[in-house]
Amino acid sequence: MHKLLQRQVKSHLGGEDLDAFPEAWKRLLASVNEAYEQVDADRLLLERSLELTSQELIQRNKELRRQAEELARSNADLEQFAYVASHDLQEPLRMVGIYTQLFTRRYHHLDADAEECIGYVLEGVQRMQLLIEDLLAYSRVGTRGQAFAPTDCQATVSRVLANLQAAIQEAGGVVTFDPLPTVMSDVVQLTQVFQNLIGNAIKFHRKDEPPRVHLSVVRKGAEWVFAVRDNGIGIDPKYADRIFVIFQRLHTRAEYPGTGIGLAICKKIVERHGGRMWLDSRPGDGTTFYFTIPAGMSAPPAERSRAEQAGQQRGGAA
Amino acid sequence: MNNHTVEILLVEDNPGDVRLTRETFKDSKLANRLHVVGNGEEALTFLRHAGQYTDAIRPDLIVLDLNLPKKDGRELLAEIKTDADLRRIPVVVLTTSKAEQDILKAYDLHANCYITKPIDLDQFITVVKSIENFWLQIVKLPTAH
Repeated sequence: MHKLLQRQVKSHLGGEDLDAFPEAWKRLLASVNEAYEQVDADRLLLERSLELTSQELIQRNKELRRQAEELARSNADLEQFAYVASHDLQEPLRMVGIYTQLFTRRYHHLDADAEECIGYVLEGVQRMQLLIEDLLAYSRVGTRGQAFAPTDCQATVSRVLANLQAAIQEAGGVVTFDPLPTVMSDVVQLTQVFQNLIGNAIKFHRKDEPPRVHLSVVRKGAEWVFAVRDNGIGIDPKYADRIFVIFQRLHTRAEYPGTGIGLAICKKIVERHGGRMWLDSRPGDGTTFYFTIPAGMSAPPAERSRAEQAGQQRGGAA
Repeated sequence: MNNHTVEILLVEDNPGDVRLTRETFKDSKLANRLHVVGNGEEALTFLRHAGQYTDAIRPDLIVLDLNLPKKDGRELLAEIKTDADLRRIPVVVLTTSKAEQDILKAYDLHANCYITKPIDLDQFITVVKSIENFWLQIVKLPTAH
């Protein structure tokens, strides 16, 4: 008889001698005994499978730790490579730029044609310096990314608008935004995304139409979908994918300044956060940039006082 | 005001930068003489009056690039600032790097100041003129022995 049953029979019924009990009781006790034995067997199986699982987990943990170390090492290598490459590439460029400038100072009798040639040289040098800086910034999305922390998007966008105040004012633009949530993100990188998208919306405005930009957000399942809508020059849908590629531009530098790194960096940042980025546009009809951020441990834009604060951020007024 | 010819030791391996620095110092109103060495080892030989530099003067100011062949500029800085005889000579670090760790390291090693070489010609000239104005005209330099 199962030990536990034995004990209970002894304490409740006085004896353990099964033969002393009536037949019906014997059958009852037998089935109870079987039940006890079954529970024991099940428990043993469970313990064994738990042991296996915890062994697996220990192995998995070891493997994950190893991969994390590997990633940290790889990141450190990449950071050093990117820094050294950009630093060592900038140095000869500096020499070209400075000595070209010196050359033009020493030879005052340069004609207009020579001046133009020198102009192209210096412009090329300056452009390359910017490209190298941008490449470094692009590589740093991964290597200098911070851990995610709760980020108040409302405060972040307010800060961005303060940063862009001069540009917004100069273009006579108006930027508005709906109540925005708190999301898990790297605040420095999220700031870059907002600043780049809003900055672009202001920059690429139609000639006689002051830019109007609006930020909205909607919760779709496990993610927040942000939208930055503008009334600017629009983008031909057939170039929609290209503009996210590093250094790809749709305009000359004379038309609109820039190296074409901004959207590539935004996309990389958003993907680092586990989201995606895309756009919706038609030429001459404005553009809406969308990006998602996983909702995770985020807080919704619920507070009413926030809703009151959100709204017109005109160029000029804080 | 310093009234003798100011002796400056420039530790720089890039001939382009040497020429620019030399020309800018030459334009100075204040009498100065620029001595140039191209690496850290040669700098120490100069400072210790050894080898070919037995008759070398003692510089009033050292302008130092961090990225040097053979003995690195940071090592040289450390050696100068821990040498009882040499450490009072002001060292102006003039280098291409603007990396935070380089700046901090230089100050940790007691560099007197850290300047990043500008990429624009006019800015470079302004910087060299500022060094000359500050360290040669405004500042009191420790007089030689």
